[in-house]
Amino acid sequence: MSPLKITARDATTGPVVEIIGELDYASASRLREQLAALSLQPGRRLVLDLAGMEFCDSSGITALLAARTQALAAQAEVALAAVPGNTLRILRIVGLDQIFTLYADSDAATRA
Amino acid sequence: MMCGIGRQHEPQDAGGTTSDAVFAALLEDSAEELYEFAPCGYLSTLMDGTIAKINHTLLDWLGLERDAVVGRLRFTDLLTVGGKLYHETHFAPLLRMRGEINGIALEVKQADGGRIPVLVSSVVKHGSTGEPLLIRTTLFDARDRRAYEEELLRGRKVAEEARKRADADRTRLQEALAVLQQSLLPDSLPTVPGMEAAAHYHTASPDRLGGDFYDVFPVDGKRFVFFLGDVCGKGPEAAALTSLTRYTLRAAALHDPDPVAALTTLNKVLHERYTDSGDPRYCTAVFGTLEPDPATGHVAVHLASGGHPPALVLRADGTAGYLPTPGGLLVGVLPDARFATAATTLAHGDTLLLYTDGLTEARIGEDRTSLYGDDGLLAFATGRADRHPRAVIQALTGLLDGFGDGLDDDTALLALGVPARSTISSATRNH
Amino acid sequence: MDVVRRNNVTVTGNPDGPVVVLAHGFGCDQNMWRLTVPALAPDHRVVLFDYVGSGRAEPSAFSEERYASLDGYAQDVVEVCQALDLRDAVFVGHSVSAMIGVLAADAAPERIGALVMVAPSPRYIDDDAYRGGFTASDIDELLESLESNYLGWSAAMAPVIMGNADRPELGEELENSFCATDPEMARVFARTTFLSDSRDDLKKVRVPTLVLECNDDVIAPREVGAFVHDAIAGSTLVTLEATGHCPHLSAPAATNAAITEFLAALR
Repeated sequence: MSPLKITARDATTGPVVEIIGELDYASASRLREQLAALSLQPGRRLVLDLAGMEFCDSSGITALLAARTQALAAQAEVALAAVPGNTLRILRIVGLDQIFTLYADSDAATRA
Repeated sequence: MMCGIGRQHEPQDAGGTTSDAVFAALLEDSAEELYEFAPCGYLSTLMDGTIAKINHTLLDWLGLERDAVVGRLRFTDLLTVGGKLYHETHFAPLLRMRGEINGIALEVKQADGGRIPVLVSSVVKHGSTGEPLLIRTTLFDARDRRAYEEELLRGRKVAEEARKRADADRTRLQEALAVLQQSLLPDSLPTVPGMEAAAHYHTASPDRLGGDFYDVFPVDGKRFVFFLGDVCGKGPEAAALTSLTRYTLRAAALHDPDPVAALTTLNKVLHERYTDSGDPRYCTAVFGTLEPDPATGHVAVHLASGGHPPALVLRADGTAGYLPTPGGLLVGVLPDARFATAATTLAHGDTLLLYTDGLTEARIGEDRTSLYGDDGLLAFATGRADRHPRAVIQALTGLLDGFGDGLDDDTALLALGVPARSTISSATRNH
Repeated sequence: MDVVRRNNVTVTGNPDGPVVVLAHGFGCDQNMWRLTVPALAPDHRVVLFDYVGSGRAEPSAFSEERYASLDGYAQDVVEVCQALDLRDAVFVGHSVSAMIGVLAADAAPERIGALVMVAPSPRYIDDDAYRGGFTASDIDELLESLESNYLGWSAAMAPVIMGNADRPELGEELENSFCATDPEMARVFARTTFLSDSRDDLKKVRVPTLVLECNDDVIAPREVGAFVHDAIAGSTLVTLEATGHCPHLSAPAATNAAITEFLAALR
């Protein structure tokens, strides 16, 4: 059980936001706030690096979807990197694996 | 301390001389003077309360002359009326019974009309043969103390009122929540001809409206519709979404009971309602139709899923299996969503089980780190596949209860089955 | 609920003797009769109890609604009589209990065959020609005092007021001590007692009645004793050489003698 930590860096493809800890009802709004503060250029890619994400509930998924909506509104792309197994399982159940571009890790996500 | 200081000045001896002088000064304070000017009121009365002796301190507090008091007044005459009543109903009986009484708070009246709160202690003096002779009473000035107690009482009263208000508010809120919650679920399941239906709703917290929903209702002469789902989030916003979802699906089903059509309508409604507001909201849902075949008694099930865990089919032969609906998308995310469909037929003794992910996402194990999961549910259901829907729901309710704090989400369960053919009815049908 | 437990009923004395029920007044409990019981026990079956809201009666049985009138307390009496299946009992009531006895005898005439009214008062407040001994504002003062708990809180009560959980033994000790009642319930009893007007009820008394008054009682002055005696046809009035409101404690010998004489005459 660790509190949510969010760090952002710039890669050549666009911003990479690392989500570490638990993304749940209590912390999801923080991710949404931090993402809202990012400036996204058209054609760039927002990468959400989930390698350090320990837990993600439906509120967390809602936050990921909000990130996608935000990226699309800025005519940018969105990608998830290193989705943990359990979250991937949930994404598959709810059909979101078809909506998000998934990468094995953030290197792969920022290479293209 | 004074002795200590004396010794400091004359360390060798002579301290004794100083102490003696101090004590001598004290001894000048005769017993009589100590009585008269003690820092408390003294009073002696006959057994009937007539004041026989009173000290100067108390006379001073009362603002009375000794002659006006001794032999003329009773102890109760010094008290306020409320004090008198209290004295007669509590103080005097207690004193009689016990021979002494301590620290009773009363008020004495002053000649100028003022009142002094006092703490009263009394003791009965007995004669050589044990007969009560007189009552000795001390009174301590309790003005400061009483002010403090009044503050405490006031504080307690305020706290008590606040607590009562909070309790009332809480009760009202819980009642309102219960009514709202009921509006999200059917009061009771309808009778579906040729079928048995059972449901259970597990509320994770009585203070929070749940986000799971289900319903079963007839749509036309031959079909029934069912749905079950889970909205994202918790609390009032989730309940508002649940309400919108339930009534949208009911309306959509009456217009066109096709599962994909109904979910598509819901998707449009949610997407339009919430996406533009910048606060997107979604749900997962299974929607289906039940169409009995009058000839066989079998029921054809057609369903569609939007991001919902697969339904489970329990067969009369004791086997169980998921009815996969991969690729169906969360409802409300995209303007044009894809929903996955599946179909099956329920024969006699078969049951379709719908559930929300509270069940499969429950944490189990010593440290609550593993998930109950699809496999756990499948194994549990396989062992009970031949049971009728009510028994299945009963068994699952027991399972949910057994999860304890490993289950922190609302969970809805809906079982729809075709009763097993009893020997008699099958015989009737065969002939 | 079991009435015997609810009202902390105690039965003592001679099981074959005629029944005497001793009922305490406002402020205390059945312990008030400690000096009376020995005088009655040899020849009488003696029944003692606490009204709900007093002594060791079951606090959970208290209801502000029921005990907001003397009828509620009279109901306690009738129910105790029913629980023990008492018939023709002599009801000895102190202070307000004397009036409660009048109401109970009216409600269950087969249960109560005679009344002893110790320091009774059917109305505490002066009213035209009637002298109860108190003005309405005096009673308001008592009630106000009781209601705000300013009065009668022993020094030991302060930690209880604060709800001091660190010293639970204080509450325990107070609960165990004679006359320590829950202030909320005491407030209801006080209000019911001192605001009641039972003067008309005295006319309903149809049983032999002994009125015992003290020659110097702040709460029930001589005029009141005379009023009660006049109102109850055929009643006997005995004025005791006693000061205060509790002759059974301050003058037990004279009180017991008057009661036993009355009881003997009933046989």
